[in-house]
Formats: sequence, C-alpha cells, structure tokens
Amino acid sequence: MNQVRTSHSIPHAEYFPRPRTANGPARWLAVVRNDARELAKFWPVVQNMVTSDLRIRYHRSMLGFLWTLINPILMMATLTAVFSQVFDKRDWKEYAIYLFAGQLPWSLFAGSLGECSACIVANEGLIRKIYLPKLVFPLARVLINLTTFVLSLTALYLLVGMLGARFTPAMVLLPAVTLLFAAFALGLGLVLAVANTFFRDTAHLITVVLQAWYFATPIIWGENGLPATLEARCWLNPAFPFIRMFQLIIRDGQWPSLTLFLVAAGLASVSLGIGYVTFKTHEDKLVYRL
Amino acid sequence: MLPGPSAAEPLVEFRDVSLKFVSYRDKQYSLKRSALDLILRRDAPPVSDEFWALTDVNLKMMKGERIGILGFNGAGKSTLLRLLARIYTPTRGQLAVRGDVAPLIEMGAGFNPEMSGHDNIMLNGAMLGIRPREMRKKVEGIYEFTGLREFADLPLKYYSSGMYARLAFAIATEVDPEILLIDESLGAGDVIFVERAKERIARLLERSNLVVIVSHDLGSLHRMCTRGIWMHEGRVRCDAPISEALTAYLTFTQAIDAKAAEAARRPEYAESA
Repeated sequence: MNQVRTSHSIPHAEYFPRPRTANGPARWLAVVRNDARELAKFWPVVQNMVTSDLRIRYHRSMLGFLWTLINPILMMATLTAVFSQVFDKRDWKEYAIYLFAGQLPWSLFAGSLGECSACIVANEGLIRKIYLPKLVFPLARVLINLTTFVLSLTALYLLVGMLGARFTPAMVLLPAVTLLFAAFALGLGLVLAVANTFFRDTAHLITVVLQAWYFATPIIWGENGLPATLEARCWLNPAFPFIRMFQLIIRDGQWPSLTLFLVAAGLASVSLGIGYVTFKTHEDKLVYRL
Repeated sequence: MLPGPSAAEPLVEFRDVSLKFVSYRDKQYSLKRSALDLILRRDAPPVSDEFWALTDVNLKMMKGERIGILGFNGAGKSTLLRLLARIYTPTRGQLAVRGDVAPLIEMGAGFNPEMSGHDNIMLNGAMLGIRPREMRKKVEGIYEFTGLREFADLPLKYYSSGMYARLAFAIATEVDPEILLIDESLGAGDVIFVERAKERIARLLERSNLVVIVSHDLGSLHRMCTRGIWMHEGRVRCDAPISEALTAYLTFTQAIDAKAAEAARRPEYAESA
C-alpha cells in the first residue's frame, strides 16, 4: 500500500504573508480569526509549556509541589514581619491581610511583564528552527504566572482565614478581576516582548521601572485609606484600579463599584489591543533580530 | 482514487518571492544609541547590511513531485526550505501553501532536556501541529523504532547524543505530512541506525504528497527526485527534470573548476617563461 497518499480533504491554501485584503477593522478581524485558528492548533504546545515549567520549577526539591504553597506563605510572613515592624503597625493581622490582597496580584503582574519581555529572546533556539505562532510564548508566560497566582491565592486564603479574613459573596468577582488584570499584563507584555527583542536594554529598564511602580502603587502603604489628593494622583497609575479591586474584595469583602470595574475593563482592553497590534506588526521581523 | 479538484492546483506556489536578510552589525542597536541619534538629530548610522537571499522566485510545486534543490553554499537553498517551513516570511511577493508541512530541517529543536523522553515526544509532536490524541498513537511506533522504551521516563539530559539524535529523528519521521522538507545532513546515529533510517525515510517519502530535498549529494538526489531546481545567488537558475538540472549544474561547476585550474596554472607558466 505504499502509494502516494491522496488526502480526502482538499487542504485550503494558506498565504504568507497574509494578503492585505482590506484596511482597518476588517483586516484586523481576519488577523484575529487566523490567530485564533493557529492558537487552537498549537494549544497543546502552550499547555505543555505551562505544565512542564511548573513541574520543573520544584523538581528534585524535597517538598516538591508543596513549595508552590509554602513559598507565598513564607514570603508574606517575611513582608508582614518587616513592614509591620518598620512602619510600626498596631494590628499586624489586619495589615497582613491588606498586604496579601495587593502583593499577590502584583506578583502576577510583575512576573508576567518580566517573563514576557524575555520570552522571545529566551526561545531563540526554537524560533529560528521551527515554526510556531509567536503569540504562544508570551501567552504561556502569562498563563504560568496565572497558575502560580491561583495556587498562592488558595494557599494564603487558608492561612489568612485563620487571621480573620472573611469569605464574602464579593469573592465571586475574583476570577473576573484576575482575568482582567492578566489581560492588562499580557497587553503590556506583548509590547515589552517586541521592545526587548529590538532593544535588549529593555530588560534592565523593566526591573527598575517595575520596582518604582510597585512603590507607587498602594500595596505596602495606604491600608487606612488614602487622602483625597493622593487618591486622585493614584488614578493616574493604571495598575491602581486593579489592585484596588483586589483589596476591596479580599480585605473589605465589598463589591467594587461599577465605575471601578469598567475602568479596569477599559484599561485591560486598551492594553491588550495596543499590545496585540504592536506584536502582530513586528512578529515577522523578530526572527531577524535574534 | 479521484484526482479531486486539488490535483490541478499546486501544493506550493512562490509568486515573485524575495527575501531580504538584514544582518545587524551590532545586534543590539541599543536604546541609548537610538535615543542619542534622535536627540542629536543625526541620521541613524547604517547598522545593517542588507542582503537579498532570494530574488524573484517563481515556483509551482505539484502533488506527487519529488524536488531536489541544488546549488552552492549560500545560494539560497536552505532559505527556500525555511520559507516553506514558515520560519521566514517573504519580504516581497507571496507564498501559498496547501497542506501540513513537516520540516526535517532541525530535528530535536523543541526538546526540553529537563523533561522525560515521553514528555518530549508529546511536546515535539505538538510543535509539529499534531493533536495529542494522534500523537499518543504514534508513541509506540517511535519506541519500537528507537528502542528507547525503557528510557521513556528518563529526563532527556541523561540521554547520550546518539539516543538524542535517534529520538529526534524518529519523531520527525513518524509524521504523515502532505509536504515534506528535508535538509541534507540527516546522517545521525550509528551505522546500523543509518541503514534503518534510510529505510524509514524512503517510506516517509512514499507517503508524502510533495517532497522537497536540499542536498549536496547529487547521486541520491538523482535517485530520489523527479525534478531539480538549481539555485544560484538567490535566483532560480534552472528548473527542469532532475537529470537535466543535474547536467546543467555539473556543466557549470566543471566550467568553474576548469577556470580555477587554469588560474592556478598560470603563475607556473609565468615562472617557466
């Protein structure tokens, strides 16, 4: 039966580069649809990248996967101990919950940005040798951070529950808020992935900028509410609405206001839109810059 | 078997495809420099050397063809293959591809040394665009061919280089491609393995709808291919049945050799005169 196999289905033609049929929204719609198809096809690669990364991270350590839970607990304990001493907090338990509500999402954000910016350069070997939709790399990095976040959140909830955190109905919003924040991070991450491939200086800059951004966001400070002038200034910080929502939900057990939610959703879409367009317009040039 | 409407359509079509390589003299055109250039209003220095690796390539590759690509080093043979594999996108022109492409260009490119053999098989399959369910069916065949079943759970970093190459080869050749791309240097592993590898490639060739081979081994090209494309300095110099293309190529290389030999002889004449 060694014959030239004729495929029963006529494979449809793919064109490279994709023909520019129309300009404007119609063209981008086609680009998005094409990407959705590509990502669906290569989704197992993303899955594989995420699971292997998580598995390898604590590979060969005695506690193994438990570290995903222990790590955030130890980190939060240290931060709480240091900051409650330095800033002389009366009620360290209250403060610990506040810190936890802001710090964990921030780790998701900062981790995603840092890893996204490096992901193209780090996968040079792959990109120059085989074809993969490049979106796979930043997407996998964000998903890895997202998984870590969910695990840490669960672990810390168990701990914080003992410190007096309440389980409130508002918590049903957590997945939505998390996804919005991850989308916001992915958008920025896409821009940074391109920027860092063209200018390797970006990676060094990001570390510093993220550090500054961290201190500019009410995570370790502001647990007693913000004075009006300061709060107005905080609204200039695009990470603020997200962090605030997490704090409202986790610490105060309150529903965030609709305005806050919509602002966050808007920011996430704008970031994702800009990131996507930037990435797609430079995608084909990345391979020459490695 | 019905020819189907696709029979008349080429599986691969290059329409005026050109590819420009930009080799960046200093790869990291730094932020500092571009900022300074902007501030000092000086023109950005030519940081790059442009180089057209392919110029105006027009090709149609039909179903059932076995195409051998000939040419000197740097003539654009591998670039052509990499375009087909979608690693590069044409700078100008357009490339149409119908069907799945299986690149036997860089084997084991997606291997993760920290992961076990089995996991790497699944990962590599995924990178070739094979669904996990189909890949699971192929795993047995891969173990059978490589004899690496007992090492399935061992992280890849503990494999010997021979085992590594064998696994990479087995995965790459376990696929059922519509379009198969082969880049020479497939000589992987020990002698017994090489024999079996040849057999396996032969079978793979038979089940692919279209095969494109880049090689310097003119003998095997003559044996395997039906059509030859001779690339010279990024252009298609000759596109004909394989024996014709080979003759044209050989005549050309012999002419060059003769010229070189003559050039080498001349100083002697000068000396003796």
